[in-house]
Amino acid sequence: MKKIYDWFNERLQLEDLVHFLGKKYVPIHSHSVWYYFGGISVFLFIIQVSTGILLLLYYKAGEDQAFESILFIMSKVQFGWLIRSIHSWAANLFVLSAVIHMFSVYFEKAYRKPREMTWVTGMLMLFLLLGFGFSGYLLPWNELAFFATKVGTDIMGVIPVVGKPIMVLLRGGEEVTGATLTRFFGFHVAVLPGIFTVLISLHLIFVQRQGMSETEEFSNTPENEKGKMPFFPNFLLRDLLLWLLVLNILAILAVFFPWELGHKADAFASAPAGIRPEWYFMFMFQSLKLIPAKILFIDGELLGILSFGLAFALWLFVPFWDRKTAQGHRNRFLNYLGIFVIAFILLMTIYGWLS
Amino acid sequence: MKKIYYVLSLLLISLGAWTVMAAEDQCIACHTGLGDAPSTLFKKDIHQQKGVSCADCHGGDRTADDPDKAMSKDHGYKGVPKGNNIIKACINCHDNADKMKTFGSSLKTNQFKLFATSVHGGTSLDGAEWVAQCTTCHGAHGVSPVASPSSPVYPTNVIKTCSKCHSNPQYMKQYNPSLPVDQLEKYHTSMHGKLNAKGNTEVAECASCHGSHNIYKPSDARSTVYAIKLPATCSKCHSDAEKMKKYNIPTDQYEKYAGSVHGKALLEKHDVGAPACNDCHGNHGAMPPGIESISNVCGTCHALNADLFSSSPHKKAFDQRKYPECQTCHSNHAIVPATDALIGVSQGATCVKCHSPQESSKGYEAAKVMRHLLDTLSASEQSAAAIVEDALQKGMEVGEAKFKLRDVHQARLESRTMVHSFSVPKFQEVIDKGMKVSAEVSHEGQGALDEYRFRRYGLGVATGIITLLSLLVYLYIRRLEKK
Repeated sequence: MKKIYDWFNERLQLEDLVHFLGKKYVPIHSHSVWYYFGGISVFLFIIQVSTGILLLLYYKAGEDQAFESILFIMSKVQFGWLIRSIHSWAANLFVLSAVIHMFSVYFEKAYRKPREMTWVTGMLMLFLLLGFGFSGYLLPWNELAFFATKVGTDIMGVIPVVGKPIMVLLRGGEEVTGATLTRFFGFHVAVLPGIFTVLISLHLIFVQRQGMSETEEFSNTPENEKGKMPFFPNFLLRDLLLWLLVLNILAILAVFFPWELGHKADAFASAPAGIRPEWYFMFMFQSLKLIPAKILFIDGELLGILSFGLAFALWLFVPFWDRKTAQGHRNRFLNYLGIFVIAFILLMTIYGWLS
Repeated sequence: MKKIYYVLSLLLISLGAWTVMAAEDQCIACHTGLGDAPSTLFKKDIHQQKGVSCADCHGGDRTADDPDKAMSKDHGYKGVPKGNNIIKACINCHDNADKMKTFGSSLKTNQFKLFATSVHGGTSLDGAEWVAQCTTCHGAHGVSPVASPSSPVYPTNVIKTCSKCHSNPQYMKQYNPSLPVDQLEKYHTSMHGKLNAKGNTEVAECASCHGSHNIYKPSDARSTVYAIKLPATCSKCHSDAEKMKKYNIPTDQYEKYAGSVHGKALLEKHDVGAPACNDCHGNHGAMPPGIESISNVCGTCHALNADLFSSSPHKKAFDQRKYPECQTCHSNHAIVPATDALIGVSQGATCVKCHSPQESSKGYEAAKVMRHLLDTLSASEQSAAAIVEDALQKGMEVGEAKFKLRDVHQARLESRTMVHSFSVPKFQEVIDKGMKVSAEVSHEGQGALDEYRFRRYGLGVATGIITLLSLLVYLYIRRLEKK
C-alpha cells in the first residue's frame, strides 16, 4: 500500500490533499447526526447515476418500445430486475434523504450568511430531484404513470399565461403521447443530470470552502470545549458505515419489494381507479383536491397552484428575508413555520393515501 | 161491426209494415236488391249476426230508404274506409270492452295495442298507413270468427293468408329484401305442414309460433321466435304429453335441451349464437335430421369435427350399422360438455359401447392409447400451470410463460377435436405439439423459481458481506478513535 501511495504521491503531490483533509474538522454536538444526510444523498446520487447508466444500455424510449424494454430488463437481462428496482427505490430514498437534509439545514438555520448560496443550490437540486421523479415515473410507459403524468401536466396548464405553453412544451403537444415520453426521457437523462451535476459540484465546493455549519449554540461554546472530529478519516468512515447500511436497505427492498411494472399505457383506455402521484407530490395533489372550485371569484385550483409557487419561492429565498437570524437572533417564527410545513405535508400525504 | 174489424185489421197491418220497414237495415235492403258482393258476403259476416250495421263502419243513415239521404255526408256517411281508417273503424268497437259486451262478445280488446308495436304496425312504403290492416288478414264483409273454418285465419287457412304477402318476392323485397319468401314451400315439406294440409288444426302454423297481432322480427327480443324464447315456444306443444300422445313422440326434449351445453349457453348465458331447436331441425321446414345427415347438421357449427368424422373409418361403420352419427356418442337434446372421460375404455367412456378387447380390439386399443395421451397432456398442462402460478405468487415475471400456457390449452382443445379423426398418429401429432410447449412453459417457470431462490440466497450473501464490511468499518473507527 505504502509503495502505491508513494508512487501516486510522487506524481500528484497527494500530501497536500491529505494535509487539507486532515485539517478539516466536523463539529460534534447534539445535532451532528443531521450532517450525515448530505452524505447519504450524495451516495444515493451516485447509485442513481450508475444504475441509470446501466438501465440506459437496454431502455428504449418510445411508445411501442418503452414498456417492452423495461419488461425485457426485468425478465431477460441478468440482474436487470435488481438494477431497475434499486434505481426506483434509490430514487425514493434520495428524495426522502434530500428532504430530511433540507429541513435539518432549515431548522439549524445553516443557510445563514455566508451559506446562502449553498442553500439556494441545495433547494434548486431538490426541485430538480422532483423533476427527476416526475419525468422518470413516465418512462416505463405503464397505465398509472401515463394517467399520473396527464393529471400532473394538466395541473401545470392551469397557471395563467405561461401554464399552457409549459404544458405543451412538456407534453410535446396537446396530449400525453409518445412525444411526451421521448421528451421526458430527454429531460431525465440529459437536461436534468447536466444541470444537477453543475449544482451538486457547486454545492460540494461551497461546503468544502466554508466547512460545516455550526449551530448557534456550538458557536457560542468556548473554543477549548468544542467537540470536533477530523473529516478524514473519522467522519468519512462514519459516512461509509451509513452508506453500507443504506445499501443493505436498498438490496432488501429490491429483493422483497421489486418495483412493479403494471400494465402498458393505453391512451384509449379509461383511467384506472386509484391514480396517485408519487408520495412526494401527494401533499400538493391532495391540497389541490381539497381546495373549493371557486374562492371568491378566483379559480380554486389556480389559487392553490399559485400559493404553492409562492411558498416554494419564499422557501428558496429564506436566507435573504430571514433578517433576524442574520442579525444573530433566534427566529422562533421560522421554527414554528417549519413545524407547520412538516405537519401540513405529513397530514396531507397521509390523508391522500387514505382517501 | 164487420167494417170496423176490417178497418182495424188494415190499420194493424199498416202499422206492422211500417215497424218492419223502420227496423230493417236499409243499407242491406237496398244493396241486396243490387246484388253486390259486399252485401252478399255480409250476410254470413259475424258482425251482421251480432247486429253490426254497414253504417257502423261506413257511416250514413241505416234507416233512410232514400239512398241520397242514407249516404249523405250530413248523416255521417264516410264511404269505403281507406288506409288506417280501416283499423280505426274496427277498433271503434274492438278496442272498447264495454261496447263489445253490448254485442255479447267476450273477445279481448287489446288487439290494436299489440298490433301497433308489431312489425305489421310499422309504416307502409308511402309512409301514410300501417303495413297491414285488419282486413288484410281477416277479410272485410265476410268476416268469420277465428274458430270458424271459413275464416282466413283459421289454422288450415292462415298459411295461405300469410303467404299472400310473404311468398310474394316482389312485395316482400320492398320491405325486407333479405327476408326469404320460401316459408310456405318449406312448410309444406315439414311434418307440421303435411298434417296441416290434411286438415289437422292442432299442428303448428304461422300464428302458433309467430303470434297473431303481436308479430315481431325474429331478432326482436319480444318475438316468440327470438332465439332465447324459441325453445319455450316449441315446447308449448312438444312438452304437452297429452297433445303429443297421438303422434307417438317424446315430450322430454325441452327438459333435456335446457340441461344441455347448448341449452345452458342459450337459456342461462343468453348466448344467442348457441343453437336453439330450429338450428338443427329447421324452422318452417322442421323435421328431425336423418341419421346420415346428423354430422352435417352439427357440422354447421362444429365444422372441423364433422370433416374429421366424415373422413374417418367410423363414418362407413356408422352408416352400415345405421348409427346416428354425432348422437351415438354425444346424445342429441341432452348434449353435455364433452370431457376427456368420453374417450377411452374406462367406465363412462363411449368407445366401449362398441369396442371391446375381444371384438374390434384395434379400436379398443386405439381408444386406450388416445385417452392415455390426453391424460398425459392434461397432467402436463396442470403441472406447467402450477409452476407458473407459483412463480407468479412469488412476484416473478413469467408473462411469456403464462402466455404460452394458452398454446398448451389450445393444443388440448385441438386434440379433443382430433379425436374425431379416430387416428392415433394424427392425434399423437397434436398431443406432441402440446407436450412440447408445455415442457417449455415448465422450463421457463422452473427457471423463474430458480431465479427467485437465487435472489433470496444472493440477498443473504450480499447482506452478509455488506454487514461484515460495516462491522469492519465500525471496528476500525473504534480502534482509530481509541488512539
